Amino acid sequence: MLADLSFRACAVCGGDPRASARCSACKGAGITLASPDGPLVWAPVIEDGFFGFRSFRTKANAIIHLFLAVCVFILLATAGYLYAFDTRVPSLLMAHFWVSGHPSAMLAWFAVFIGCFLVFRLSAYSDQVKALPTWGKTEMQIHAWEATVSTRTSPHDVSIYFRPAAWHVIESAYTLAKRANMLEIAPIHLFGAALASSSGGIFLTRLGLDFEKIREPLSKLVHEGETGNPTSLSLEGKKILLASYMGAREARRKAVGSMEIFLSAFEADERIQDILDAAGYSAKQVRHVSEWIRLQEGLKEQHDRFVALAALKPSTVMNRSMTARQTPILDQFSEDLTQLARRGYVAPLIGRDQEMQELLRAIESGRRSVVLVGETGVGKNALIEGLARRMVEEDVPKELFDRRLVSVSVAQLVAAGDPALASQRLLQLLQEISVSGNIILVIEGLEALAGAGSGGPLDVAETLASELDKGYFIMIGTTTPENWTKHLERRSLGSRLVRVNILELSEDDAILVLMGKSGFIEYQNKVFFSYSAIEKAATLAGRYLREVKLPESAIGILSEAAVLVRREKGEEVLVEGEDIARIIHEKTNIPVEAVSREETDKLLNLEDRLHKRVIGQQEAITAVAQALRRARAEIREEHRPIANFLFLGPTGVGKTELAKALAAEYFGQENMMIRLDMSEYQNPDSVARMIGQPNDARGGLLTEAVRKQPFTIVLLDELEKAHPDILTLFLQVMDDGRLTDGVGRTIDFSNVVLIATSNAGSQFIQDEVRDGASIERIKTGLLEKELRGIFRPEFLNRFDAVIVFKPLTMDEVIQIAWLMLNQISKRLEEKGISFRAEDEAVEELARDGFDPVYGARPLRRVIQDRVENALADVLLRQQVGRKDTIILEPGSKLQIQKYSA
Amino acid sequence: MSRTAGFYFKFIVVDTAGSLLRFPVWWYNEGLFQILKWVKQKLVYRLRAYGFGIWLRNFFVPMYGQYDLAGRVVSIFMRFFVLIGRFIAFFTEALGYTLLVLLFAALPVLALLFFLSNLFQVGVPTSYVS
Repeated sequence: MLADLSFRACAVCGGDPRASARCSACKGAGITLASPDGPLVWAPVIEDGFFGFRSFRTKANAIIHLFLAVCVFILLATAGYLYAFDTRVPSLLMAHFWVSGHPSAMLAWFAVFIGCFLVFRLSAYSDQVKALPTWGKTEMQIHAWEATVSTRTSPHDVSIYFRPAAWHVIESAYTLAKRANMLEIAPIHLFGAALASSSGGIFLTRLGLDFEKIREPLSKLVHEGETGNPTSLSLEGKKILLASYMGAREARRKAVGSMEIFLSAFEADERIQDILDAAGYSAKQVRHVSEWIRLQEGLKEQHDRFVALAALKPSTVMNRSMTARQTPILDQFSEDLTQLARRGYVAPLIGRDQEMQELLRAIESGRRSVVLVGETGVGKNALIEGLARRMVEEDVPKELFDRRLVSVSVAQLVAAGDPALASQRLLQLLQEISVSGNIILVIEGLEALAGAGSGGPLDVAETLASELDKGYFIMIGTTTPENWTKHLERRSLGSRLVRVNILELSEDDAILVLMGKSGFIEYQNKVFFSYSAIEKAATLAGRYLREVKLPESAIGILSEAAVLVRREKGEEVLVEGEDIARIIHEKTNIPVEAVSREETDKLLNLEDRLHKRVIGQQEAITAVAQALRRARAEIREEHRPIANFLFLGPTGVGKTELAKALAAEYFGQENMMIRLDMSEYQNPDSVARMIGQPNDARGGLLTEAVRKQPFTIVLLDELEKAHPDILTLFLQVMDDGRLTDGVGRTIDFSNVVLIATSNAGSQFIQDEVRDGASIERIKTGLLEKELRGIFRPEFLNRFDAVIVFKPLTMDEVIQIAWLMLNQISKRLEEKGISFRAEDEAVEELARDGFDPVYGARPLRRVIQDRVENALADVLLRQQVGRKDTIILEPGSKLQIQKYSA
Repeated sequence: MSRTAGFYFKFIVVDTAGSLLRFPVWWYNEGLFQILKWVKQKLVYRLRAYGFGIWLRNFFVPMYGQYDLAGRVVSIFMRFFVLIGRFIAFFTEALGYTLLVLLFAALPVLALLFFLSNLFQVGVPTSYVS
């Protein structure tokens, strides 16, 4: 960053742009940057006339060079002509012709002389870009270089390392500032010019930013500052150009391009950052997208260098010192990663510098063998492939120099199915390797050799350990933490291996990796990724797809999205963040897209819709709807379930009904919920049924259900009946939003609506209601007294809302009766029959169907007995046909009104 | 600083004249240096490709992993002769490059001398004046 760099101003002119142009001490540089490459300056004095002169000079040079070339041509042509038409002239091959004085000889020599002059002018007077001194060097070579230049005192001009594109940006910046009549070329002008370049155009597309949005504020900024003549490069501007050099150096680029200037200008002026922030793009996002473009440009640069180096390596299994032996059996069961890397089939490794250093260090110190321990998808394989590439570039310690990196396929080894045969093969392999002397062995899934494989018990760990002991070869193994602990750690094999942990990437690092991989996926599918797509892939995959870790989970999503978008919208299309969200939604059923219009309506009207199914219980409905709104507006805590509710109340008043209504209204279907009856979990071993037996991969009832459907309602009926251990389990769920099942998988509960119902305290509730107490009082009484003996206080504390369901009033029961009859009416409508009920009849049903103890439950049976049975009779006897009307009368009599035309 | 036509014209004249003077200086300083750098790059690459260091370090290590006596003897012979051969090839290439560098250094001077001698027919046994 700009702030980290230490600039020193010229003692004489103080660095002032106008003064330094005339300063004899610094000769226009103004400021010096101290760097590992020695003191650096920006030597060209950018002011009025600079670019005009520059282009003039280029043109003048071109003309002079052309003139010289024409001269040479004419001279040679004339010489040739004179030679051809003179019969007395000796042959060209005779030495004395060339000193004979013949005009053709004279002209030819003059042409040669002019030619030399032309060569001189072409080399010395062209504006060729020089490659950075750190380009193409290995770590050690760079250190050596830095040591050489550390004593350098005379300042070095960085402008020779700027690409034509970068010079173009500087020129555009000058023009921009000049037109605005500004006295100085400020960071904003450099930024604006860089934005207008072709790389800038790519930047805007990737970021998804419409230039029109920031045109106004940028334009305003351009015109801020002192006006005047002549326009010259400001001190800030010089700092930016020097910082651009450092940026290119840091990223190991070949030369300084327009994106480096873009980034440095962006960092230099906070006002620019504010403008983009106001448009909705944080500084982090801007940096990331610039990094992306630079990364892709850098990969292209590296490619050519890699190909040149790869050509030096032998294309056979022989090493360069030709001391190796053939390894026929090994070749059968393995693939040679260095060969693949040499031929270009291995992608470059992005990031993971620390892990690579650890790996190399472990091997260097005492030739130890290494095991990479990390979850599936974190990139263990990528790290090994990166090592293969480094071995091709020969940027490795001597233990790895001139060797083959060979990966054994355990699957092929055990393919015969017979463990004895497999171990025999393995022993032969190890023999060949030991004798060959130039093999680094890679075994992916090391646990398969230690008895964990699914192809049968193959346990050659001891053999492998003793072979390793002999020290004839180095091995790099990979495994997951779980398998390491279970099969390898405590065995002799484990003690001989140096463990290198490969942790899951952070989101930011994953985004970098995705940016590197995106190029290939884009090429394959002929689509382009926007930055928001990359960002969303990393974020959402990291949050919701936990089976495989970042970055592989995100890479998979990108591939799928690319295919999807290509199929739907054709080629050369941009993949947006919403496309990614759509794929994640399909996989997990969690609505991660931006909230749409219909969903907004649904959420805001949720109470009304719930009321249609559940009578009364206003407070409950409101609490539930609010919790869901909070969740979708993304302002809730992430590591907890969407909501934890405890529904208390007598039986049959609508607790379960509300849960079902919520499932239907919000999740789409009434049975989109996981329903557990706690009365089945009253024993201590019930916990195992819920989360799964240890080591049983089938998992538990609850954990498997939530794993497959992370976005759902979990309904726990009759919570008071559960065993206390179960309650402790849910304590963790409500707090942390996670459960670990018997096998050790972490199941994510943070997209679950947890609803527990209980009849505890229902007598108390009924009494209090009868006495006319308020809900508040009832709740307080419950929490402080009644529930004390049943639930622990800290457990009750964890519920977002403890909702008391009041007993139903008669009015409410009548409404429920109407509801139920409406359902019957709908079904009859399908048959074309209208159904009506008289008020008195319904009241009668309600009265008979209501029981204070059982609530409204008996109502269903009453309706079934009286109404539905009668209807069935009537229908079967065909006493009623289409367009007829049935009326329910008191006494549960059915009257049929025939249709009259 | 104003950029008048006069300035531009002066620049061309001065620049061209200056470049004529700069020519020999450049040719024998930077030009030579660049050619030498190029030659060095080529030779280093060739050295690397031939793997002299590797072979010398492994001179007594038998090729193809043949650790028996016959294998060792044959290997030493092989390495010896291959190294000789590679050395000769490298030497020849280096010689070629040296000639190239010498040519580079001599060419302008020679060209100028021969041009002048042809012009004034100095030291010429027979002349062909047409």
